[in-house]
Amino acid sequence: MFFHIVLERNMQLHPRHFGRNLRENLVAKLMKDVEGTCSGQHGFVVAITGIENIGKGLIRDGTGFVSFPVKYQCVVFRPFKGEILEAVVTMVNKMGFFAEAGPVQIFVSNHLIPDDMEFQSGDMPNYTTSDGSVKIQKDSEVRLKIIGTRVDATEIFCIGTIKDDFLGVINDPASV
Amino acid sequence: MLRGEDEDASELKIGEDFLKAKCLMNSEVAILLEHRYDQMKQMSGDSTPLPQVFEKSLQYVKCFSRFTNQGSVKQVRDRYQLAEFELAVIGNLCPETVEEAKAIVPSLKTKGRGHDDEAVERLLNDLLMIKKFE
Repeated sequence: MFFHIVLERNMQLHPRHFGRNLRENLVAKLMKDVEGTCSGQHGFVVAITGIENIGKGLIRDGTGFVSFPVKYQCVVFRPFKGEILEAVVTMVNKMGFFAEAGPVQIFVSNHLIPDDMEFQSGDMPNYTTSDGSVKIQKDSEVRLKIIGTRVDATEIFCIGTIKDDFLGVINDPASV
Repeated sequence: MLRGEDEDASELKIGEDFLKAKCLMNSEVAILLEHRYDQMKQMSGDSTPLPQVFEKSLQYVKCFSRFTNQGSVKQVRDRYQLAEFELAVIGNLCPETVEEAKAIVPSLKTKGRGHDDEAVERLLNDLLMIKKFE
């Protein structure tokens, strides 16, 4: 789920960046440092949308760098356990399939795919129902439920299921 | 801070920070990211590659946007007293029946919230009207 939140960060700036463009340099550095990163608490920071406040700078003892506390607004993507969302399938194999929802990768194990769907290998590996009416393959759009999340240093990884009611391949006649 | 084991979106346990935060539907994110994309292009030109997280998010929200008229959707939220998170999930997934809506937003079923089947049906109809006429 995408959220619009306010985060705070202490930015260190070398005195070479001071002068008329101090604020621009600070904001540019903030964007470079923060956009695209990920934390367990807030999820992925997708984009910074505005600066709320830049506090007074404090000179650090010993280095001469100045530390500015910056409050900024940003769009974050944070997946939650129990959340239901739509994703695009990126890879299918006999263990299950991988799907992507924005910056997050989700794995759905074959144990959490309905029993009436079987893995078919080949050029385009897929999961298909016995009557061939429903197929999950690369680029298919599916609705899944997140049942677990794991955070490491640079990304969040999720496990999902499509075994519950109203989950699975999205058929959208309106898009035809 | 909410511990990993305690969080559960189906019961709206997503931590105070996020319960109070502004929840964005894919359509709203698309607008914000497109704007930022234009800014980035202006600042550094076409040569600099976009960060992967940004590019994937932009592609995703453009693909899965359902509404273009955000103002009316917000009105629906106030009328039906939904949490931002619940409205965003319904807005993103566009359930067609009351049964489907209650399956994808289980927190609607919590007792004492006054969301009986009729209220949910009215909510879905309102959203359908908005989608038809935007």
